[in-house]
Amino acid sequence: MQAEKFSYDNQVVKQFIIAAVVFAIVGMLVGLIIAVQLYMPELNFGIAYLTFGRIRALHTNAVIFAFVGNIIFAGVYYSLQRVSKTRMWSNFLSQFHFWGWQLIIVAAAISLPLGFTTSKEYAELEWPIDIAIAVVWLAFGANLLGTIIKRREQHMYVATWFYIATFVTVTVLHVVNSVEIPVGFLKSYPVYAGVQDALVQWWYGHNAVAFFLTTPYLGMMYYFLPKAANRPVYSYRLSILHFWALIFIYIWAGPHHLLYSALPDWAQSLGTVFSIMLIAPSWGGMINGLLTLRGAWDRVRDNPVLKFMVVAVTAYGMATFEGPLLSLKNVNAIAHFTDWIIAHVHIGALGWNGMLSFGILYWMVPKMWGTELYSKKLANVHFWISTLGIVFYAVPMYWSGIAQSLMWKQFTPLGILQYPNFLETTLQIIPMHIIRSIGGLLFFIGLFLLGHNLRMTAKQGRFIKNEEAEAAPLVKEIDKLKRGMIHRWLEKRPVKFTLLSLLAISIGGLVQIIPTIVIKSNIPTISSVKPYTPLELQGRDIYIREGCNACHSQLVRPFRSETERYGEYSKAGEYVYDHPFLWGSKRTGPDLMRVGKKYSNLWHYLHMEDPLSMSPGSIMPPYPWLLTENIDTSSTAAKINAMRSIGVPYEKGYENFANQDLVKQANEIAEDLIKNGVPAEPDKNIIALIAYLQRLGTDIKVNQPESKR
Amino acid sequence: MKSINKILFAAFFIIITLINHSFVFAETETAVDLDKVMKTMLAVTLIIIAVVIWLFVVYSEKNDNEGILFKTPFKVFKQYITKMSPIEKESEMLLHHKYDGIEELDNRIPPWFNFLFYGTIIWGIIYMLVFHVFDDGQVQSKEYEAEMNQAAVERQILVKTGAFLNEETVTALSDAAVLLEGKEIFIKNCASCHGQNGEGTVGSNLTDDFWIHGGGIKNIFTVVKYGVPAKGMISWQTQLAPRKMQAVSSYILTLHGANPPNAKAPEGEKWEEPKTNK
Repeated sequence: MQAEKFSYDNQVVKQFIIAAVVFAIVGMLVGLIIAVQLYMPELNFGIAYLTFGRIRALHTNAVIFAFVGNIIFAGVYYSLQRVSKTRMWSNFLSQFHFWGWQLIIVAAAISLPLGFTTSKEYAELEWPIDIAIAVVWLAFGANLLGTIIKRREQHMYVATWFYIATFVTVTVLHVVNSVEIPVGFLKSYPVYAGVQDALVQWWYGHNAVAFFLTTPYLGMMYYFLPKAANRPVYSYRLSILHFWALIFIYIWAGPHHLLYSALPDWAQSLGTVFSIMLIAPSWGGMINGLLTLRGAWDRVRDNPVLKFMVVAVTAYGMATFEGPLLSLKNVNAIAHFTDWIIAHVHIGALGWNGMLSFGILYWMVPKMWGTELYSKKLANVHFWISTLGIVFYAVPMYWSGIAQSLMWKQFTPLGILQYPNFLETTLQIIPMHIIRSIGGLLFFIGLFLLGHNLRMTAKQGRFIKNEEAEAAPLVKEIDKLKRGMIHRWLEKRPVKFTLLSLLAISIGGLVQIIPTIVIKSNIPTISSVKPYTPLELQGRDIYIREGCNACHSQLVRPFRSETERYGEYSKAGEYVYDHPFLWGSKRTGPDLMRVGKKYSNLWHYLHMEDPLSMSPGSIMPPYPWLLTENIDTSSTAAKINAMRSIGVPYEKGYENFANQDLVKQANEIAEDLIKNGVPAEPDKNIIALIAYLQRLGTDIKVNQPESKR
Repeated sequence: MKSINKILFAAFFIIITLINHSFVFAETETAVDLDKVMKTMLAVTLIIIAVVIWLFVVYSEKNDNEGILFKTPFKVFKQYITKMSPIEKESEMLLHHKYDGIEELDNRIPPWFNFLFYGTIIWGIIYMLVFHVFDDGQVQSKEYEAEMNQAAVERQILVKTGAFLNEETVTALSDAAVLLEGKEIFIKNCASCHGQNGEGTVGSNLTDDFWIHGGGIKNIFTVVKYGVPAKGMISWQTQLAPRKMQAVSSYILTLHGANPPNAKAPEGEKWEEPKTNK
């Protein structure tokens, strides 16, 4: 058989690498800024676009989708071509993918600070960008599958399996979680409400971690680690077992983000047990990676690439052990809503994703430029500064999380809360936050060493735009399914493989989501819960715009310490008109589920203008612009219509009168404020926000709690 | 070998069941205190360290190379749980796959991995059965009820011991039994200075309309509790439980207008009970 000559496309890989490094710096810079804002709120310079609530989403999106995303694409485009012995299927799609993805990132970087957000974590981008993501992602998928189909290698390598699972699952997640009704350009409401929205969101959110931060990285580990160590993969059988087990089980674990919430108990329990079951499949990847280094450990000492990879794989093992631990209800009761989760996430993000990315870059760039790494020494410095950065980041956050959680729960001997003032617990952990930001700074500094080293490496080499290669063409063999060889058979059939993985990842989601939406008893209705008034609806959208949910939860858990502090615990039926749900995932400030009628209008007015005036020492930034911006009454009708189309029972034709009600309610609040001595105007955003806050959690106080069980 | 397998599996099963029934399920919040959490954290940290060391020992290169010559029980066990082939025999384990130069070995899946994997699955099934089929576990609403009941019980106990009684909350009691108890306390502790009938000797007269530090149950309770060291009245809060201070203060109120013999002259100001809306 005559070998065919072809070339690997390094150009698109190079583009993705450059983008990744640039966005790593941007994303982590924003991360550093928000870390400092937690003890120096004035670091937003009084600019709305730089407030914590808005740029926290910018940080997460930038590091996940811009930094990690671009690394994934660089790694996939590099490794897939080589394990498939072919060039990418379509140069056009490669370029379309690259430029499309960068445009999406730019759109995110502009729209998030401007306050255009759906509020759903890691899915904050608004509907036009969602559509763009779907298009670009499908282009990537087509290119991926096209390349696999026209491969010259008989079988698909384990890395390829993970890439396929990534593509399939992210597609499903993104599409299902983004079903939303547009109310205008860059504003939409999700079709799901309350508990259902929470379930769908965390099914998405959890699996974004699984299939964006984990499976593609495992795929890359399976290519770059054996390459860098020059060792065979430890166990092919383990690869098969842990791949299928991982993708099947992972999808079920989403509800562990909603333990002790208003989510039905059975769904919570599924989240817990499937998380525990995930330990072994996750560790399968770790031990296969670490054991591949068997016989090469001596090289780890003087090879920075391997060093980065070892720490990455170890961090992966730690995070995937800690995750299931956090899914146990008794641990979750302590850790949820605290900095512990932030620590956990960053072990994964900085340790696993960050360090593996650096290892891959240090290996790939010299290969692509046909040279050696410019400075091993600099890479070693980078390694140590990053490792140190992770330690300085994670350790204080563990302590601050536990300390604050215990303070929340502490009762005096007489049975009253020891720290009834939430702020006291916030101030307690500020020193930890300062150390954390130093850890972040160290990691951030490392990026410049990386950038410099890679630039100098590229400078001393010559970029190989199209890497020549040759391989025999694929011969069609007719083979039958044989016992013990089923997976070998499957590895030759990319379409069947793709469909099978689609099946594997669909089951968990279907079992959890469909009953929660279809079966009524899962969300017991409460007759006194009514839709928001037009003014409250506008106020809610301001709450979303400012990203209040980044720091304030709206979910009182059924614990004595929370019902004493906040009031009655949250019931599923209270959220039925919440499109989107706003439960939040972190309590930097107190819960707001029952804040309605707790304080006077005046308190809220002064507090939003300057939080320090009402709670001395508060780290909440001021929102003076709410006092001067006008309520956008032109959108009221569209919002009412959109809400009605997704099941909120506003009467037909109400959109025509909605603004009358809005003005009436606004006047009442403004009058009350003026009476109490502030020059409030009824047409300002602050009025709408106060209306919303005063409504929060008050519906069940009206009369009987639950009409049926 | 088969039987060992079974025994190990059974042991694993039992451990998992035990864990099921002890600490992993219900979070009883009242018990969450610093000490317990710190101990748990410490335990978890130790487990993690142990696991890491264990993995390290089990897979360390050095042990690999010594081969079958030294068949210590530990090595037999190690071989049993890892089923790892010696690195020298690697070439026999190579599969005929090669992807861009990457080869794959046909090592067995480590048995410890299988124990872990299937063990967690069994644990998961038990968990679901316990909570949602046999209703043996506490779902969150029941857990909350239990926690609140527990707190109510604790509160009752505190109420009984008078933990909530202080100068702000104290009320005068007229219960005969209480007054009798108050009298006994009075005779035992107070009479030496205030007289058997409260007529006053060293201490002031407690039966007239005049009070140095104000009359009424709250003021009397305050004086009993904290004392007036400057005038020789001692503080009783370390010797008498709040309940008892309430009893004796209530008893003292009943002495008003008793007109005992040898009454000491009035001191202080005339006290009038502030009018309250009942």
